[in-house]
Amino acid sequence: MSSVLELLAQQFAWAQDPVVVARQTLAGVSNGMLLFLISAGLSLIFGVLRIINFAHGALFMLGAFIAVSLTGRVPESAAGFLAALIGATAGLAVIGIAIETGLLRRIYRAPHEFQLLVTFALVFILGDAAKLIWGREDHSVAVPALLGGSTQALGLTFPTYRLFLIAAGISVAFGLWIVLHRTRWGIFVRAATMDRAMLSALGVNTRRLFTAVFALGAGLAGLGGALAAPVVAVGPGLHVQVIIDAFVVVVIGGMGSVMGALVASLLVGIVNAFGVLAFPGLAVVLTFACMAIVLIVRPWGLFGIPE
Amino acid sequence: MSPSALLPLCAGIGVLALPFALSDFWIFIAIEVLAFSLYAVSFNVLLGYGGMLSFGHAAFFGVGGYAAALLVKKTGLSAGLAFALLPIVAMGISAVVAAIVGFFSVRRSGIYFAMLTFAFQMLLYTVALKATGLTGGDDGMTGLKPPGALAQPLVYYYFALAVVVPALYVLFRLVSSPFGYTLRALRSNARRVQYVGVDVRAHQLATFVITGAFAGLAGAVFALSSGNVFPGWLNWTASATPIVMAVLGGVHTFLGPALGAAVYVVLEVLISGRTEYWPLAMGVIILALVLLMPAGLTGLVRARRSA
Repeated sequence: MSSVLELLAQQFAWAQDPVVVARQTLAGVSNGMLLFLISAGLSLIFGVLRIINFAHGALFMLGAFIAVSLTGRVPESAAGFLAALIGATAGLAVIGIAIETGLLRRIYRAPHEFQLLVTFALVFILGDAAKLIWGREDHSVAVPALLGGSTQALGLTFPTYRLFLIAAGISVAFGLWIVLHRTRWGIFVRAATMDRAMLSALGVNTRRLFTAVFALGAGLAGLGGALAAPVVAVGPGLHVQVIIDAFVVVVIGGMGSVMGALVASLLVGIVNAFGVLAFPGLAVVLTFACMAIVLIVRPWGLFGIPE
Repeated sequence: MSPSALLPLCAGIGVLALPFALSDFWIFIAIEVLAFSLYAVSFNVLLGYGGMLSFGHAAFFGVGGYAAALLVKKTGLSAGLAFALLPIVAMGISAVVAAIVGFFSVRRSGIYFAMLTFAFQMLLYTVALKATGLTGGDDGMTGLKPPGALAQPLVYYYFALAVVVPALYVLFRLVSSPFGYTLRALRSNARRVQYVGVDVRAHQLATFVITGAFAGLAGAVFALSSGNVFPGWLNWTASATPIVMAVLGGVHTFLGPALGAAVYVVLEVLISGRTEYWPLAMGVIILALVLLMPAGLTGLVRARRSA
């Protein structure tokens, strides 16, 4: 018994070290913010359109690739990086409009398996399209000089870009909250997640609403990809892992809930960051275990609405 | 002899004589078609008859494959005995896994059922990836071989035929039985069936376990033919395969998905032999399929007949 405890103590020895704990927390929270940018869109799209957009990871990847192209001209410049963020967000919003009006609109009434297949087909098409345009090798994006280096706080040293990611995530979350809770359009979106037919019967143009929500979700994914570009390897396999994490987040948080996406993103980000230390190699299993537990105990997710 | 009796007879003779007209490479492909036919049909008993869209059916195909690989490589049984036990063991283990996954998944329906099965599949995928000692991790398990003469493609083809055809027959009897008609009734209106006194969840669970077991059998047959199993068999992108096959063939016929499997496998061989962008081609094919011929190949034939 005592040997088991000793083993556990060894396994968790890092917990004594405030530097390690602070570093992992920061990494977890900043990765969680990136996850939030993808999963918020995924969740909104499911809430309103009732479609699981498996291609959402691919949209994130395209955002990262666009950032690669736009920052490549003037690396490390703040203007170039800003251009990348705006370009990726706007570019993906446009792609989102094209996907919704060209494809998804045709299948809202189709059986579930058709909807799954369409977003799945998009995963394959966008994945290969990225390979054709940007090649098979991994790219990297330099952190802009302004956000490079590290920041001292509380006697600890943090990479400045990580702090920036957290600030960006909080800003987006706040902005989304304003849009969803303080604008007329936001009321429509929230109403649509509850009862689309009723909303349509009340005279709201749900066709346009669907397009706008998908564009918003795609734009957020693009922004997330561009923000993530300096901290991940931007390569053709990026979307496969990203969509799984986002999916886990949305299931835990509750499909259709932006608040749930935020809480679950932070949870998954932190579980991943510490799981890597506590159970090396098994961190992925931990997040899936979290998801399985939530699904069993509270199948509609932490912040979701029961069917 | 009536034409309707002539068609199955010709098909039977064709399937029996087929390998003599093919090179070893194409016999290998024909074995793949047989395995995937069983896989796709088992999936479609869930989807087409039961109205249950599983997004995790690849889990059972993969579990069957790994069960076969472990039986042959790790149990230390003689090659002949291990091979004789193969169908029982693969089906048994897949059934047990399906019982656990199904127990939690059939509580929900529609898109939530799809998500639950998806979550469990990803859990199993990470296990296959991380339990390196047992499964070989990312490298998978390679060098699997059936014993003696069965290692020749021609002989193995008949073995596969001797496994797949009876399995299909059992599934056919299942869907034609009162059990099968109850299942169809569930697809149409689960609540009414419940009012008649049927235990809906138990019925769905039983179907899930049976189809999971047959998917496992298909995985085992394919594993020993291809000689290897990889964690990718359980990855989320693999779950689209049986859906595409079923929709391609037509979900409202018993053997339609088998036809879909044959077309899919042959297309994959032909296209991936010419270009590395097979996923792109498949994506385009899926989109065309969903948007242009939603009733599948069998639906196309029927439309032609009734026209």
